[in-house]
Amino acid sequence: MSELIQQALTTFEKSLDRRLLASLEVCARCGICAESCHVFAAEPEFRNAPAAKAEAVRRFYRRLHDPIGRLFPWWVGAKDLREADLEELAEIAFGACTLCRRCTMNCPMGVDTALIMRAARAMLTAVGKAPEMLVQLADAAIAREENLEFFREFYIDQIRELERELQEQTGDPEARIPVEKAGAEILYVALSGAHTILPAAILFHAVGADWTLSMFEAANYGYFLADIQRAKAIARRIVDEARRLGVKEIILAECGHAYTVLRWEAPNWFDDFPFRVRSIIEVAAEWIQQGRLPLDPSANPEPVTYHDSCNLGRNGGLLEEPRIILRAVVQDFREMTPNRAENFCCGGGAGLVAVPEWYEKRMRAGHRKVEQIRRTGAQIVAASCDNCRLQLGDLSDYYGMGVQVSGLMDLVVKAYLAARRMEMAVPTASVPVSA
Amino acid sequence: MSATALWGWMVLIALGISVGGVAWRLRGLLARPLRPDRSPARGSAWRGILYAFTMGMMPWAKESTRQHLLPYLRGVLFHVGIFATLASLAVSPWRLSLPAPLAVGGLVLTGIGAAGGVIGILMRIFDERLRALSHPDDYAAVALVTAWQAAGVAFWADPRWMAVFYGLSALTLVAIPVTKIRHCIYFFFSRFFFGLFYGRRAVLG
Repeated sequence: MSELIQQALTTFEKSLDRRLLASLEVCARCGICAESCHVFAAEPEFRNAPAAKAEAVRRFYRRLHDPIGRLFPWWVGAKDLREADLEELAEIAFGACTLCRRCTMNCPMGVDTALIMRAARAMLTAVGKAPEMLVQLADAAIAREENLEFFREFYIDQIRELERELQEQTGDPEARIPVEKAGAEILYVALSGAHTILPAAILFHAVGADWTLSMFEAANYGYFLADIQRAKAIARRIVDEARRLGVKEIILAECGHAYTVLRWEAPNWFDDFPFRVRSIIEVAAEWIQQGRLPLDPSANPEPVTYHDSCNLGRNGGLLEEPRIILRAVVQDFREMTPNRAENFCCGGGAGLVAVPEWYEKRMRAGHRKVEQIRRTGAQIVAASCDNCRLQLGDLSDYYGMGVQVSGLMDLVVKAYLAARRMEMAVPTASVPVSA
Repeated sequence: MSATALWGWMVLIALGISVGGVAWRLRGLLARPLRPDRSPARGSAWRGILYAFTMGMMPWAKESTRQHLLPYLRGVLFHVGIFATLASLAVSPWRLSLPAPLAVGGLVLTGIGAAGGVIGILMRIFDERLRALSHPDDYAAVALVTAWQAAGVAFWADPRWMAVFYGLSALTLVAIPVTKIRHCIYFFFSRFFFGLFYGRRAVLG
C-alpha cells in the first residue's frame, strides 16, 4: 500500500463514527434514491445515483472492514483503494454531490450519503486531491487573520465608504456601521462585498440594534473541504472576535454553509461557545412578526419565488422564516414545487460554484431547478444563500430564463425604504382609520 | 432422533451463531465514537426519532416512495413476510396443535413475503439500474430469504416440510451477520440518527 493511500485511509478511519458506519452498512441497494438527486435528474445515468456514488466509498470500506469483503471481495463488490481511484473519487465527492441530503430524506433506510461524501472529501483533502480553488480560498481566509493589521486599515476605509451610502439611503447623517465595537450586543458577520453589509446595516439602523460588523467574512471553504482543522481555524477567527468584543449574539449574513458551520458545527469544535448564533433571516422574520419594521410590499410588485437553500432549509430548519419575510415584503409570492425540505438543490452547493472547471457540470446539475423556477412564472428568484444566488444567476444566463436573482434582505430593504418614504410623505399614514 | 428434531437442534445452533455474529457487528458499531451534537437544538430530537420510525416510514412521507409506490409496497410485503416467517419458526414446534386460522394466516403472510421476494429478484435481474448496483451477495441474500419464506409456506401447508423449513431457517440465521441481510441490524441505528439529525434541526417531527 502506498504512503498516499495509507494517509487517505488513516483520515477515513478518523471519520468513521457510528453515524457514518451505519450509513455505510445499511444501504440495501434498492436504488430508490436515484430520482431524488438533482445530478441524476439532470443526467439519469447509473453513476449519478446517490447509492452508486456512495459505492465508491463502500467498495474500499468493505475491503477493510467486512470479513466477506476481505475473503471474497468479488462477492460483495469490495475493492482495494488505489491511487488511480482517488481522481475518480474526487470527481464524485466534490463534483457530483453537493451534500444537499435530498437523497437522505428520500431513503427508506435514512442513509446519509452527504456524510459518506464528506468522509471522502476529508481523505481527498488530506492527500492533496481536493480542488485547488477550494484549498486556496480556505487558506486565504486563514491568512487574513494572520495578516489582520495589514487588512484592517483598508477594510475600515471601505466600510467608511459604505457608511456614506448608508447615511444617504436612510437619510440619517448619524447612521453608522460600527466595526470592532466592544460590548455591542450583536456581531454581524457578512460575506465579502457590500451586498451583504449594506442591507443588514439599513435594517439594524431601522430597529436601532446595538451591533458591530465583524472583521471577517462568514464563508468557510474549509467546511467544503471537510477539513476540520481548516474549518475550525476559519471559524475560530469569528469566535475569538465575538469573545473579545463580548457580544451576546452572532448574526450571520445570508449564507447557507456559514449557517451550518457556525450554528450547527462550531459549538462542537469549541469548548467555550457562549453566544447564540442566528441567521439574519431568523432575525428579520422576528422583527417583522414584532411589527418593528414598517414595510410596503408594493415596492416589490413582481412575482417572486423562493429557492430554499439546502443548508438553511433542509439541513438547517429555516423553512418558514423566509416565507414570513416574503409574504410581508412582496406582493406576489409563488412557491416552487417541491419546496421546503423537499426542494431541489440549485446544483452549485458545497463549493461547486467556486470551481471554474465545473461550470458545465453545475449548469447541467441545475436543470431541475430551472424547470422549477420556470413553472412558477416568477420574475424574481429570492435566495438566502450567496452560493445559490451565484448559481441561480448563472443558470438564468445559461438557460435564458431572464429572471432576476435577489437576496431576501434586498427585498426587505426595498419594502422598508418604500414604507419609510411613504411615512415621511404622509406622517399620519400609520394612524388607524377608526382613530 | 428424527430428521426434523435434528434440524431443530441445527436451528438452535444457528441461532446461537447468529446472535454471536449480530453481537460482534454491534460491538464493531458501538466501538466507534458517537460524537454527540452540542449545538443548541431548534426542535425536538425525540419527535424526530419518533417520526423516523413511524410517519416517516409511510409511503406518502417521501417523494421517492410516492413515485415508486409499487416497488416500495413490494418491499414492505417482503419484510412483513420475513417477520411472519420468523414467527412461524418460533411457533413451529407446536404446529400440529395450533388453530387452523393461525395456520392459514401464517401461510398467507409467508406466501405474500415469498411472492415479494420473487418479484424482488426479478426486478434486480431485469432492471438495468438495480443490476448495475447489485453484487452477487444481493441476489444470494434475497434468494435465500425468499427460499426460506417459501419453505415457511410449505411448512404451513404440510408439516412434513418442517425439516426443509428448519434447514433453510438455520442457513438464513447464520447468513444474517455476514451477508446483505445484516442491514436489518443497522436499520435501527440509521433511522435513529436520521430522526435525531432532522428532529434537532426542526426539519421533521
